[in-house]
Amino acid sequence: MTIKKLHKKIKLSRRSLMLASAVIGLNLIAPFTLAASSDQVLQSRSYLDITSLDPSNYLNAVDEDVMGAIYSKLIYFKPGNKWEWELQAAESIEQIDDTHIKFTLKKGIKFSGGFGEMTTEDVKFSFERAAFGENPAAAADWGGALKEVQIVDKYTGIIVLNKPYQPLWNLALTYAAGNIISKKGFESVGSFTNKPPASSGPYIVKEWRPKQKVVLERNPDYYGEAAPYKEIHINQIDDEKTAEIAFESGNLDVTRISMSSVQSYRDNPPSNSQLQIYPSLFYVWLGINSENPKLQDKRVRQAIQYAVDIPSIMQASYFGEAKPSTGILAPGLLGHREKSMIAPQADLAKAKALMAEAGVNSLELELDVLNKATNVTTAQVIQALLSQIGIKVNINQHEAGSFWTLGSEKAGDRWKNIELIINRYSMVPDPAYAAVNHTSAQKGIWNWERFSNAEYDQLNEQARSEADTDKRGAMYQRMQDLMEESGSFRFITHEAQPMAVRNNVSAGLRPDGRPLYRHFKPAN
Amino acid sequence: MWLFLLKRSALAVLIVILAVTALYLMIHAIPGDPASIILGPRATDEMKAALYIKMGLDQPVYMQLLSFFGNILSGDLGYDVFSQRDVSDIVFEQLPWTLALIFCAIVWAALVGIPLGCYSAIYANTWFDTITGIISVGTIAIPSFVVAIYSLLIFSVTLHWLPAIGAGERGDVLSQLEHLILPAFAVGLGWVGYISRLVRSSMLEVLGSNHIRTAKAFGLPSRWITFRYALRLAILPTVTLLGVGIGYLLSASLFAEIVFARPGIGKLIFDAVSTRNYPVVMGAVLVTTALFVIATTLADFINALLDPRMRAKR
Repeated sequence: MTIKKLHKKIKLSRRSLMLASAVIGLNLIAPFTLAASSDQVLQSRSYLDITSLDPSNYLNAVDEDVMGAIYSKLIYFKPGNKWEWELQAAESIEQIDDTHIKFTLKKGIKFSGGFGEMTTEDVKFSFERAAFGENPAAAADWGGALKEVQIVDKYTGIIVLNKPYQPLWNLALTYAAGNIISKKGFESVGSFTNKPPASSGPYIVKEWRPKQKVVLERNPDYYGEAAPYKEIHINQIDDEKTAEIAFESGNLDVTRISMSSVQSYRDNPPSNSQLQIYPSLFYVWLGINSENPKLQDKRVRQAIQYAVDIPSIMQASYFGEAKPSTGILAPGLLGHREKSMIAPQADLAKAKALMAEAGVNSLELELDVLNKATNVTTAQVIQALLSQIGIKVNINQHEAGSFWTLGSEKAGDRWKNIELIINRYSMVPDPAYAAVNHTSAQKGIWNWERFSNAEYDQLNEQARSEADTDKRGAMYQRMQDLMEESGSFRFITHEAQPMAVRNNVSAGLRPDGRPLYRHFKPAN
Repeated sequence: MWLFLLKRSALAVLIVILAVTALYLMIHAIPGDPASIILGPRATDEMKAALYIKMGLDQPVYMQLLSFFGNILSGDLGYDVFSQRDVSDIVFEQLPWTLALIFCAIVWAALVGIPLGCYSAIYANTWFDTITGIISVGTIAIPSFVVAIYSLLIFSVTLHWLPAIGAGERGDVLSQLEHLILPAFAVGLGWVGYISRLVRSSMLEVLGSNHIRTAKAFGLPSRWITFRYALRLAILPTVTLLGVGIGYLLSASLFAEIVFARPGIGKLIFDAVSTRNYPVVMGAVLVTTALFVIATTLADFINALLDPRMRAKR
């Protein structure tokens, strides 16, 4: 039978063919959309793709989000509202003296892939590799403080430091460089990036699809209680608005949303979901270059500090959902200041008086800013505010690649032209992480305000090794006072981390809203 | 014919070399330091210097360029220090997603646009022509990202018929097709208008030509005349447009890759430029430029096959 005859026999018109195609197409689609709602699979989102799941080579926070689920650390952050850690691979851990920390591993922690039980040998291999390696992130987490890990027996070891190092507890051991990998597993492959040969966490990496997603699956060899989800899909979605659409369409169970959407999510949340807002650790500030000829007079810098009204920025850029910051350390962190020296509200009279005292009637300044909507809005508010004290501000927007090298002396002469800059740095729960960026040694690297203060530098060194928590906290508070007194910093905010979470998900999040995937579980 | 093909191929190679060289110089001219971006705020000067050497950035730019082309001849697109993977692996991992998107977008646009253009020409100056004209111009005028967002809001958020993000499960063709529907619709819609307008004007010109009048005089069926004789000539500008269109869509697909969170070569290049990841930028741009040139050359070649006059001219 020819096609022509067949066509005549079944009398298939173009219209009926198109209709039939549409029906068949929709029937093909339907099972897939339904399948996506399986409660065994958690659909999450990250804003970046992973770069490396080798703790010694990690580069970004997303790497640690995944590593936290597939490896074990001696100690790890607890989910909740308070920065606390709990024992994980360690059965016990104690500081014997300033430079010796003794730990004992839990027995029976197995590595996947048949690489046997976790021993002190694996801890030594992992920590020394991270601390002495070429990766700046992992090495910096250890801060040059690790001398060695001594093996006492199969399960007991001693971390030996060459100097007291307090960030050990909230950075080196609890963050990415504290993940323990299998020595035998590593040696079996020589090197790896995104396919770890062995895991000891509740999940293992099932698949990595570059620029798309990381799929974690339940680790059948996990020594503890079986992971609650069969799989966790961490979808890479750069754009927050796209993530919101994905969440609203049911393709995601948890995601960070944009600040501009907080109000609508609060008033009218997508079905079966809730909004949770966490205080972020990021710190945002207006930097004022103290070495720029136009800004060398401290009174001019202070006038700028007083003229910038932080509540206006909170409304315009953060839709009233973030709070003004008092320094570089967020609430809940050691060294956080309850109040800044200059009130968040602008004091235009004082600002004008300072300008007059400095003998400056008018000034034209360049404000460099990353081309993100929030930053640009902040810049526009500052532009309007400073015009009231006779300062004309020109806003220069930069894309990320250009912006992040503006203040670098190694990347040309652009650092000399910096006058005002809106900056935003990431942060971990230890104050040392942020404080180091503003030392004199960082001038021309990450200290773009070219702030230089001998007392600050000295306190920075002392605070890293100060064992007394109260004293250490006071040191960091003093350091922020010095920053503010210099006139080079107007602290803006720590932002906020608004998370949309499906009601059937109990999200295990750090106090700053970052995911601890091993603590995610279906809600009752 | 062979001479024509040889000439076009030589020209294509020259275009690729010039385009890649220009881009290489441009990316080095813009400010930005890959070591600072890749290694982050805690990198020491020694670490940055080591990365420069690994990436070959300690060499003068012309040496880097020569070395890049030298490696290309041996089939090596370079090595990405950032992810510690071969650039060819990275590029060819992303390329199929973009090609699938472009192919689907162009095919559906052509399947709808060509008949629409033909019928508009046949029924020129009727209500049908007026309506298709309005629709065509409308589809051209609406920006693709607006189509993308509204189609997401309607079909994903409201109706829950189609997935909002991703490219489908690996090895599952139906899932991948399902994830292609909205992006291909958004990318292709504007091209429906372009193609239909172009086909209409070409058809009007051809339908008024002598050989068509002769065919009509011989009493050949009008559908036969339209699709067998007229369309063959009228389609030539459209083939050229599609060739250029494929190249254009290689970069224009970026918005779809961002809005639909799809993997693809546009997003790869965008991310690589942002991080000044030169080896990946160069590898990806070389491949896309080559594809662009291949597509336009192929369009010329098809034109030559369809139209003997063009072969004769060359």
